[in-house]
Amino acid sequence: MSRQQSPVWRPGMSRRNFLQSVLAVTGGLTVASCGTPLGAGLVGSDVAPGTVDYWDLFGGGDGVRMQQMLDRFREEHPELDLQAVTLAWGNPYYTKLSLATLGDQPPDVAVSHLSRVPTFVAAGLLQELLPEDLERYELTAENFSESSWEGCQIDGKTYAIPLDTHPFVLFYNTDICAEAGLLDGDDQLVPLDSEEALVDALTRAKEVSGEWGAVCSLDADTATNWRIFQSLYSQLGGEVLAEDGTEIVLDDDKALQVLDYLKSLSVDNALMPSSVDYGGAVALFASGKAGFYMQGEWEIATFQTAEMPFSMTLFPNVYGGSDYAVQADLHTLVVPMRSGEDQERTDRALTFIQSLLGQSLTWAEGGHVPAWLPVQESAEYQDLHPQSNYAAAADAAVLDPPAWYSGSGSNFEIVMGSAIATVRAGQAEPDVAIAQMHDDLQVLADTAPPV
Amino acid sequence: MATDTTTVTTTRQPRPSTRAASYDSRTRLFNWICFGVLIVFALIWLVPLAWAIDTSLKPNAETTIVPTTWFIEDPTLDSYRTVLEQGDMYKWLTSSFITSAAVAAGTVVTASMAAYALSRLQFRGRQFVFWLVLAGIMIPTQVLIVPLFREMDVMGLLNTYWAVILPQIPTAIAVFIFKQFFDGLPRELEEAARVDGASPWRVYRTIVIPLSRPVISAVTIFTFIWSWNNLLWPLLVLTNPDLMTVPVGLATVQGTYGIRYADLMASSILGALPLLAVFLLFQRRIVEGIAGTGLKG
Amino acid sequence: MTTQTIAGAGTVAPAPPVQRRRGRGRQALLFLAPFLILYLLFVIGPTIYMLIMSFFDSSLVRPGLGSFTGLGNYIEALSSEDFWSSLWHTIWFTILTTPPLVALAFVFALLADRVGRGRWFFRFAFFVPYLLPSAVMALIWIWIYTPAIGLASDWLTSIGITPPNFLGDPNWAMISVVIATVWWTLGFNFVLYLAGMQDIPRDLYEAASIDGAGPFQQITRITIPMLGRTTTLVAVLQVIASLKIFDQIYLMTTGGPNFSTRTSLLYIYDVSFTDFRTGYGAAVSMLLFVVILIVSFIWLGIVSRQERGV
Repeated sequence: MSRQQSPVWRPGMSRRNFLQSVLAVTGGLTVASCGTPLGAGLVGSDVAPGTVDYWDLFGGGDGVRMQQMLDRFREEHPELDLQAVTLAWGNPYYTKLSLATLGDQPPDVAVSHLSRVPTFVAAGLLQELLPEDLERYELTAENFSESSWEGCQIDGKTYAIPLDTHPFVLFYNTDICAEAGLLDGDDQLVPLDSEEALVDALTRAKEVSGEWGAVCSLDADTATNWRIFQSLYSQLGGEVLAEDGTEIVLDDDKALQVLDYLKSLSVDNALMPSSVDYGGAVALFASGKAGFYMQGEWEIATFQTAEMPFSMTLFPNVYGGSDYAVQADLHTLVVPMRSGEDQERTDRALTFIQSLLGQSLTWAEGGHVPAWLPVQESAEYQDLHPQSNYAAAADAAVLDPPAWYSGSGSNFEIVMGSAIATVRAGQAEPDVAIAQMHDDLQVLADTAPPV
Repeated sequence: MATDTTTVTTTRQPRPSTRAASYDSRTRLFNWICFGVLIVFALIWLVPLAWAIDTSLKPNAETTIVPTTWFIEDPTLDSYRTVLEQGDMYKWLTSSFITSAAVAAGTVVTASMAAYALSRLQFRGRQFVFWLVLAGIMIPTQVLIVPLFREMDVMGLLNTYWAVILPQIPTAIAVFIFKQFFDGLPRELEEAARVDGASPWRVYRTIVIPLSRPVISAVTIFTFIWSWNNLLWPLLVLTNPDLMTVPVGLATVQGTYGIRYADLMASSILGALPLLAVFLLFQRRIVEGIAGTGLKG
Repeated sequence: MTTQTIAGAGTVAPAPPVQRRRGRGRQALLFLAPFLILYLLFVIGPTIYMLIMSFFDSSLVRPGLGSFTGLGNYIEALSSEDFWSSLWHTIWFTILTTPPLVALAFVFALLADRVGRGRWFFRFAFFVPYLLPSAVMALIWIWIYTPAIGLASDWLTSIGITPPNFLGDPNWAMISVVIATVWWTLGFNFVLYLAGMQDIPRDLYEAASIDGAGPFQQITRITIPMLGRTTTLVAVLQVIASLKIFDQIYLMTTGGPNFSTRTSLLYIYDVSFTDFRTGYGAAVSMLLFVVILIVSFIWLGIVSRQERGV
């Protein structure tokens, strides 16, 4: 096929020239677009180097508060750009975080519940934070409460920096409780440290409110069901899993005792509703139709906005005696693993973390117990009521048992929570629920861990 | 069947006029009932989208009023401003546009070339390739997400546009659509050109392609739409918020807006606009394309 | 080559028709190459890889295939309650969506065909939802289904019915997703049917009405039979698409509440990307693939029998 027969060839343009010009244009485009989404999309380069990429799962009141802290960070560090992304709470958040890390473009800093950290470490997704780096930013053991710092150490290495402890607590309507005679001389709630004391308090509150003694979310909320169960069960000293989740050590007797008690509250004595979802429970307490509300402390913002008369205290020490225990988790800040040694990235991350911790008082206003000792021990925090009322819970915190399928919002909580919900809703007897727990947990325990 | 009916018609006597008149009014009444029912359902169908637009024009505070009302006390474009100022939407639109356009172009080029080979060129192993492509139609891409993700991981392409674009290009169905079309083209023009010594490539480029405009535009438009709306795969491979396409962005960062429903609806409407524009521009082609699917059975 | 030199100057190799065919083979390869390379890399290759991975204990966060487990993953899947319930949810979703999407689309198209005028308006009203990305559709319906302040809840309250928690009640979640799905995808079938109806010659109807056939009879004797093939196509496309459902469920309920809406593809997503168990996920993918294949072959059977019948 000679050139004369194919007038399609434009004079002067050979195939090689064409190819060269294509490559040149592409190359030029690539160089020019490095640092833009186009460049990142084509060659995987960093979109905006020198930016702190931060992911969290804080919506609602927490989200607003975090936004304040982020704005403050921007003021403190104008030399750094901040890109903050909020993702939906639960499994989807952790799935996306792991996918991003696998895709080698994770955020510089991410929030992680402490209960999820061991799994992430085992999966090799978190960067170890070296003592020499941490020292430069004053992120050392003496600046954190002992319980929170110890919890973040895995095999003697630091993989997470604690931000707060968020325990399960008791909210109470001060007007209703005053009328029911449940407040002491300092207008604080009397201690409810036995089964009978709690029942008595709820009965009295129910008489005053006219509807419920207490409300606690039930429908489609496995996390809350797990939390109320775990708080009472751990006060009895019970455990659920051992050997990293491969062994089930559920104490049937203790579990039965707790479930029977919970059932008596909602089903037998109608002191608590046997059907109410998360939003419904909040609404009932906010409108004064219940004397007590049991949930994590983060709902404080909702009730403050509703301007209702309330206070907060430790979740009742029904079984614990001198060994108080209550379900809780910690929010920590982690640095996801990224290929290549990048000291600048580590420095950026630690700068950001240091700034957030410095604003722990703002964070504590949202109800969380700060892990940062200078704030926790400060007068300002001690004066913060009702937030500081339950600070002791941080030292009594019982986290979810370690297992690859466990952690905040995980399959473990879903399995346990579903079974507990059936009892509280009056749909199943406690012994049936316990059998269900054993069955479902066994499936999880028998599965070979993928990390 | 058609023939029978026509035969019958010609032998029948026309009906008496009175019966025809009452029959006519019965038909007209029936037609009016049909119209009424259809209008009601069409209006019902418009409600969700209309409600979303209505919400997006309210200030956030007004959206939580109960009972709900269509009336907007304080109509405002603030939500749209908030969303656009926030900046993510531009990035998402860019990502979507780049990936969808690349997929559409890539699909048309590769599928039409492959179809041309299968339709016009004799070569050894032609049957084998044909059946190989046929097998591909049976493989739903959704079941491949796990191995494909691993592949992208190994190739180091995660969080790049390539990860989104490349797997979407080889579409067996597109090859078949093109092949069916090419098979139906008369061969005389091509034969003449071949006799003149033109290479297959030249024949393909200068004769077959220009004749294939309707099928090319249909495949381009549908591939563009389908790629734009693809959620599952980009969700897995684009975790960098700067690279997300519109569906992934909307799905992932819903946490940012929380209960600011007007902002949420504004971002949805903005996310929907590009394809609505495509629809308005290419309405006829789209409808023809769908109709073509049905007729081919 | 050797042959020629031995044969000597007298024998000339014949003009090469063989060469041209070989050349055509190369040309064909050039045409096929772009498609085939991508096809082998991203369709055939992964399919084979998936098959292999399903026999191993692969993990998302560990390189390589992991340890060999033989049929272990398949046995686990087939004896797993989660697997069967997700399959059931998939089938249940298919059962709930297919009849409305086929029948309602048909009825609406029928009405639109009869009415004749303003067809563009009806086409717009029913088809526009189809163009929305799933994320937009999901956000709109999540807003509509929001308890207390959502449109659905408010409308029901105003007519005296206590609204259920549409997306939060395990008894209602699937139905709520189904309603949203029908709204979203009916338009495609509507356009398909309308085009088919418009192809039916008008004289058939005229002849039938002169014969005294009322509108209903015209529909049952003419329209429905003539659209038989279209209906089959619509129904099968619907069924196969429903088996692969992911988007709206992931967006509206993430498979909840309590996994009551988790379908097979969501189950695969959960075990592979949340639990990191890609080997097991590959096995479940293979099983889903087999189910879809069986349905597709049944379709081929029905269609080919229809072709033979006509």
